[in-house]
This record gives sequence, structure tokens and C-alpha cells, in this order.
Amino acid sequence: MKLINFKTARNLLFIFEIISLSLIFLYNWPNIEINTIYLSLGLIALVYVSNVILLKLSKGDNYIFLIVCMLMSIGIIMIYRIDPNLGIRQLQWLYIGIISFFITYIFFKFYNKWDKHFELYLAISYILFFSTLFFGLRTNGSLRWINIGGLSFQPSELIKIIFVFILACIYSGKAFSANSKFDKHKEIITLGIVYSFIAILFIQRNLGASIVFFAIYAGIQYIYTQNLKYTIYNLVLFTFGGFAGYFIFDHVRIRFITWLNPWEFIDTIGYQITQSLFAIAEGGFFGTGIGRGRPNFIPLSYNDFIFSAIIEEMGILTGIGIIMLYLIFVYRGFKIALKQEEMFYRIISIGISLLFGVQTFIIIGGVIKLIPLTGLTLPFISYGGTSIVTSFIALGFLQGASEKDLNGGSQNE
Amino acid sequence: MFNILSILAKYIFVFIIYMFIFLIIRMIYLDINQLSIEKNLNGAYLKLLNRLDDLQYKLKDSYSIADEITLGRSNDNDIVIKSPYVSKHHFKIVKDEREFYIEDLNSSNGTYINGERIYDARKLKKGDIIKVGELEFMFMDMN
Repeated sequence: MKLINFKTARNLLFIFEIISLSLIFLYNWPNIEINTIYLSLGLIALVYVSNVILLKLSKGDNYIFLIVCMLMSIGIIMIYRIDPNLGIRQLQWLYIGIISFFITYIFFKFYNKWDKHFELYLAISYILFFSTLFFGLRTNGSLRWINIGGLSFQPSELIKIIFVFILACIYSGKAFSANSKFDKHKEIITLGIVYSFIAILFIQRNLGASIVFFAIYAGIQYIYTQNLKYTIYNLVLFTFGGFAGYFIFDHVRIRFITWLNPWEFIDTIGYQITQSLFAIAEGGFFGTGIGRGRPNFIPLSYNDFIFSAIIEEMGILTGIGIIMLYLIFVYRGFKIALKQEEMFYRIISIGISLLFGVQTFIIIGGVIKLIPLTGLTLPFISYGGTSIVTSFIALGFLQGASEKDLNGGSQNE
Repeated sequence: MFNILSILAKYIFVFIIYMFIFLIIRMIYLDINQLSIEKNLNGAYLKLLNRLDDLQYKLKDSYSIADEITLGRSNDNDIVIKSPYVSKHHFKIVKDEREFYIEDLNSSNGTYINGERIYDARKLKKGDIIKVGELEFMFMDMN
């Protein structure tokens, strides 16, 4: 019998989930409602069945969803251990996430005119941006939530994906093909669009997202531009903007100061990052064991700082494992792009891989004090409804892009 | 009691996570190995459409066709398939002046081209699906 196949990997994931779930229930005993048990067992079943179905359904990449399931399982255990109420909410979000993954995947596969709606994408992004500016809610000093009928969500998370589509339209040559005057200056126009996005994010004090937007743009531009001089313009502009931001905005300066020496401000602005470092140091190789550490000492340990919380209780080896999982995931994304022949879908796969890769690098680098900290969620692991659902939607697009050529979807135009 | 279990579990977790990563990397490695073979193909080749994991016997992802290729259960074939549904000498594909012809060698379960059973030689065109037992190959011609 062969051991190296998808079935073994799927079973390992299943065992991991069962053990961690029983442990976490034991930890919270007897304050557990019967519904929570049903909900979590349901999720395990859903993950298992999804993997089986996807292997049958999809002729494209089979690894990315499996990797994401592992990441998501590690995340949900930690969130539930830190705060059971948030854990239950996250469970529900994961259900919605997986379902939206399948919807996106099927919709993306069978609809073939994604490259024809450049203006629509642009309009949606600006509408979402400006509605955040005008009707947004301010939390922790940054303006990034809007509230629709009691349900609040972060538009910038959704715009990230639309942004990838905008760039894909431009660089596959579909955006301005009707108008040769625009087509001639398309690099400049793109630069304008991207920097208008980044400027709005800066005003909203959403530093992390603005860096992610820049990185996606820089990556795709570097690969596809005909004239490298625009890449240099872009870099110069970004450096200049960074310096200007440092001197104009207080919150940018604070990030730098707490990065260079957080110990000086351990009781005020440096509290979060120092607690994160303590947690990582406390963990050691194998961690303290679930339920035996104190991740609650880190503010936002269920969200931005979940990586430190995981390391404290599950060890640096798990932390390195998580980074490796993300590396394989991004590698698969590029692999999908290399295999894809249609330019538009190729850029989409590159953009989405860059999105996850850069976002992971920025937040993990931030919490281990490698680079200045900016608030971002760790994709698929952190708590947050919008983050989970949009990440799964992006994953759906990636999965769809991995097999777009096989069914001849885009080639019969 | 909980403490002991928690300490025990943390080692198990690390072990499972690393096993999982190892498995995925190993699968990707096998995948890439297949790909480098595929790269050398120019001209005509047969591409296997079944998933390799599902098969009980060893098989490659694709086979290039030079002048002639034979498929069957016995070991003197170019493509050896140890399946009970495949005859000892099942079919052969021969090249004749830049065209490829497939010929069924009186196999007991038959050879199907695009769902239709063939009894004598027939010309292959790009994209034809050849079905033998449970296996499906696609005929590809790059020229």
C-alpha cells in the first residue's frame, strides 16, 4: 500500500483536528454547550468531505485547499482556547468561508468574461473606499469598518481581491484595448490608480493594507511591464511616500519607534510588541502546551498577534511549520501561474499568491520584531469574519485559475 | 491530569504538522519529477488522463511516440499495464508519413476511440481519447 498520497495527508489532518478538539474541550470542561460540540464536529466533517469532493471535482491543484485546512485548524484551536465565544463565532465564519470557497470556485470556472469588466471593478473599489471614508467606524485609531444592517465588515479586505482583478485586466491588455490613447499611457494611468488606492488607505490609517497593495502592484508590474523605468518610478514614489508619511503622520512614526526599541516604552506604546516577544521566548521548542501558557497577556492575541500566541503554547517548531505551510502554499500559487496559459488568469494567480505571501510576511515579521508592525490578519488563521471569508474567496479564484485551461473555458472566445 | 495530556499533545501536534508538511512536499516532488519528463516531449505523445494515485500499478504521466508504440500486459510492450482488463498485446500506434495510426491487436476487451470501439487501423488526430480498460489516454501531436 502506498502511504504517500492525498488520503494519508487528509487522515493526518483529521487526526490532528480530533486530538486538538478533545483537548480543548477537556480544557474548558464543563462550560461547554452541546451546540458547540455539534458545530465543531460538523466543521471537521465538512473539511473532510470538502477535501474528498475537491479531489474528485477539480482537475487542477489539489494541495492548496489541504494546506489551508491545516492552517485553519491550527488557528481555530488557538482562538477557541483564548476566548471560547470568539472561537464559536470563528467556527461559524469558517463554515461560511468554506461554502463561499466552493461557490467562488464553481462560479469562476463557469463564467468566462472576468476580463471584460475593468470599469466595474474600478467603480466597486472606489465606491467601497469612499463609503468607508464617509460612513466608516473608527477602531484602534484606524478607519476600516463599515456597518451594513448590523453586520460590520472591512471593505479593504475585499478590495484586495478586486485590485488583483484590476491589475490582471490592465496587464493582460484587456482594459484599454478599445482606446489607443489610454493604451499608450497605460503605465502612468495604472500608477495613478494604485497610488490613489494607497493614499486612501493611508488616510484611513490602514498601513498594513497599503503595503500589501503596493507589493502586489510592484510584483505584477515587475513581471509584466515592457519598460522597467516605470518600476523605478514606482519604487522612488513609494520611498518618497514612506518618508513623507513618517514625518507627517504620528502613527507611522510610532510604529518605527516601537520597532527600533520597544523596551523603552514597555508600559505604553511598546507593550504589545514586548508581550509578543515574551510569549515567543516563553514557548521554547515545543511550547508550554495548550492551556498552560498565558497568551491573554498579549493584546489582540486572537487577531494580529495569533502567531505569537501559537508559538507560546505550541512551540517555535509549530511556528516554523506554519511558515513552511505558507511557503508551500505560495509556491503552489506560482506553479499554477506558470502552468496557466491564458494571461489574465495567470496574473490573477500571481496576484493572489503575492497577496497571501506578502500579507503573511508583513504580519509575522511584525510580531517577531523583524520589520515595523502593521496591523494585518494572518490569512486563514487570525480571527475575523471578513478576513476569513475574503481569504476563502481568493482561494476559490486560485483553485479556479488552476484548471481554467483544462476545460477550455477561456480559449473558445 | 489535563497538564499531562496537554504536554503529551504538544509533541503529537508538532509530529503531525511536520508529517503533513513532509507528505505534501513529497507529493509535490513526485509531481515535479513527472513534469521534467513531460518537458522532453516534442512531437507526438500519449497523455494519461487518470489520476496516478488511483491506480494499483505503476504508470507514467505521458509517453512519447517515436515511430511505433505498443501497449499491453506482457513485458515486451512499450507501455506495460498490469491490469486484468488489458490484453497481452492490446494495441499499437504506428507512424506513417507524419500521420499516426492506431491498430487494435485483437484485444478481448477492445480499444475505444472517443467512445467508439475500433476493429482495424484508424488515423489518430490531436485530442483523440483512447480508452483501454479503465485507463484513458489523450493523443497529443505537437507538430
